[in-house]
Amino acid sequence: MKHKVLAGSFVLVAVAVFLVGVSATNSLAKDKIRIGQAIALSGPLAGGVAIAGGRIYVMWVEEVNKNGGIYVKEYGKKLPVELIRYDDKSDIGTMTKLLEKLILEDKVDFVFPPWGTAWLYAAAPVANKYGYILIGGPGGALKLKELSLPYFFQVLNFSETQAPALADIFKEVGVKSVAIIYRGDLHGVEYGEAMVPYFEKRGIEVKMKKSYPPGIKDLSPLLKEAKSLGVDAFCAASYPPGGMLLTGQAIELGINFNAFFITVTPFSPNLYRDTFGKDVVEGVMGGGAWNAKTSPGAKEFVDKFVARFGMEPDYWGGLYYWSSLQHFQQAIEQAGTLDQKKIRDIMAKKKFNTALGPFWYDKDRYFVNHPGEIGQWQKGVFEVIDPGKKRTAPPLYPKPAWPKK
Amino acid sequence: MHITTLTSKKFLVAVAIGLIIVILLATVPLYSPGYTVVLLSSILMYIVLTVSWVIFSGPTGYISLAPAAFFGVGVYTSALLGFVLPLPVVIGIGGLVSFCLALLVGALTLRLRGIYFVMFTFGLVELILNFVLWWEVNITGTTGRVVPTVNNTTVYYLMLITFGILLLTAYLIRRSRFGLALQSIGQNEDAAAHTGINVTALKTIAFAISAFFMGAAGAIMATRWTYIDPRIAFNPLLSFMPVLMAIFGGMGQLYGPIIGATIFTYLEEFLITRFPYYYMLIFGIIMVVAILYLPDGLVGLIQRLWKRISERKYAYT
Repeated sequence: MKHKVLAGSFVLVAVAVFLVGVSATNSLAKDKIRIGQAIALSGPLAGGVAIAGGRIYVMWVEEVNKNGGIYVKEYGKKLPVELIRYDDKSDIGTMTKLLEKLILEDKVDFVFPPWGTAWLYAAAPVANKYGYILIGGPGGALKLKELSLPYFFQVLNFSETQAPALADIFKEVGVKSVAIIYRGDLHGVEYGEAMVPYFEKRGIEVKMKKSYPPGIKDLSPLLKEAKSLGVDAFCAASYPPGGMLLTGQAIELGINFNAFFITVTPFSPNLYRDTFGKDVVEGVMGGGAWNAKTSPGAKEFVDKFVARFGMEPDYWGGLYYWSSLQHFQQAIEQAGTLDQKKIRDIMAKKKFNTALGPFWYDKDRYFVNHPGEIGQWQKGVFEVIDPGKKRTAPPLYPKPAWPKK
Repeated sequence: MHITTLTSKKFLVAVAIGLIIVILLATVPLYSPGYTVVLLSSILMYIVLTVSWVIFSGPTGYISLAPAAFFGVGVYTSALLGFVLPLPVVIGIGGLVSFCLALLVGALTLRLRGIYFVMFTFGLVELILNFVLWWEVNITGTTGRVVPTVNNTTVYYLMLITFGILLLTAYLIRRSRFGLALQSIGQNEDAAAHTGINVTALKTIAFAISAFFMGAAGAIMATRWTYIDPRIAFNPLLSFMPVLMAIFGGMGQLYGPIIGATIFTYLEEFLITRFPYYYMLIFGIIMVVAILYLPDGLVGLIQRLWKRISERKYAYT
């Protein structure tokens, strides 16, 4: 019995300490803008965070502080920005919990998005509930539109605009038939389903459409099946592990298609181009897209990024996120306050100049002025090959065969 | 006579402390800032998972790595039925589905022992995950589902109530012939069978009871996530955490896993927010130290310390 009483008092003390610990909140005079972000620093997503998007937020904060901060009229001075980052361990439950900690306990001024479509999906309603602006970063899905959250802004492009652009390019170069494979998750299913009607409407035959489970270790049967059907183009909706495997196996087996498209993976110069070599990936298409030729601001951004991190940014979302943050900063400055509602209203309506050019959101608060949808590796540059004026180079078709080893 | 009054006095003190804790916990949402409720809900979730894990694995010594499977079943129940049924009913169904699944699986596999059982339970998580994934991709054509959300206070109270019921269940099992039989299975299964205990039936029932609470916890927590897919719902991490927490706290007493889960969760939260880049390292060191020097968990440490203090007291007087 003795030790039960002891354990009981131990728990009691622990509960008391805990309550005192969390109740203590700090109230300081306003000398900086604190922005919280729960993002994957460990776990399966951490690799993605490092190559696509994660560093943009860090660089933006440094850039803002280099200029003395953001001028907020209400305080009559420039306020430097502090980024508070927590590790969500690539776990959604942890992410929502930490996001609420940032908002409720740390009382940060703003929040930045987590990494990944599903994570964004879970974070958006949480931020919205507390009236916090959430500018979407890496991730995007049609399903998010259904939630219709007034404080959520979608930045990255996804299947909705990429699938029609890809179909237009295929029609232009004369692709007659395609094979589609997709990862069995939100990303894969959405792209897999989205591409079919656009291809069919343009008279391109979909000869094969198959899903594969995430975490698969061999995709060669799907490659061989597509080859045996004699399709012109091979399209894969996959994440980096699948994208790398697919490319590696296609090279290994010498399986060539006239067009080779992978949604997520080719956009990364570090992971994709530099792993396989710039001559090997010549002609590979991927979701994206932008490059240093997109705009003068884009060139400046690439140079700054290379100077800071010693590598190129990703050519899908890099410029999107960077520009969305520039838009955000100008909205804050125009609002002259840190009030979420006022800034939100300005963000939803106003057009500001950013690195990619004019930046604004449509009525669903979706960013529309994309610098490009589809990219293609040509001589080590991820060229935008969309039809229209965003194109930085014409599509290379048919794709050169993989070099013989 | 003297001894009984002493015991009952101590018993009263224990009851009083218990009551204070219950009152404290029940009134938290009234006076403390919003985030405390969120954090406590998450702590309670881990307590529920750990205590329900200990109900089965503690006495029998069968290490089950299936919590993620049952938790995930609860999560999916919440996603499928959340929009059509009231939440308490959904939670009940989530628990029941897990219960039935555990009965079925247990009846088939609890003849396995040792490492084979461990392997199987972990395989179960992957099996259900991939089945749901296949079903969602090929039959319903989607993999993500939206879960209706409720406010944080509701989640907290539901979790607290589940915890209360679980605690009562665990206590009653411990005190019953059923609990005794489970313990004898853990000590020597063959001997237990020879004394006339239907070992497979008892193991299966204990397994199912523990699954019920895991499923209920899953159904509650899903409402905090908004969006789920099979990989999120059947997260293998949730299979390992209860095991670690139970070892950390000590399984000998009922309050062991509770203390273990609480400190573990709070510590993790503390480290993850203070040292986002090093917390895994620090956490790992703490775990190694705990396993090396605290063979009976924190509870064992408390008991040893208490013994030493009381002995010294007697020595001086």
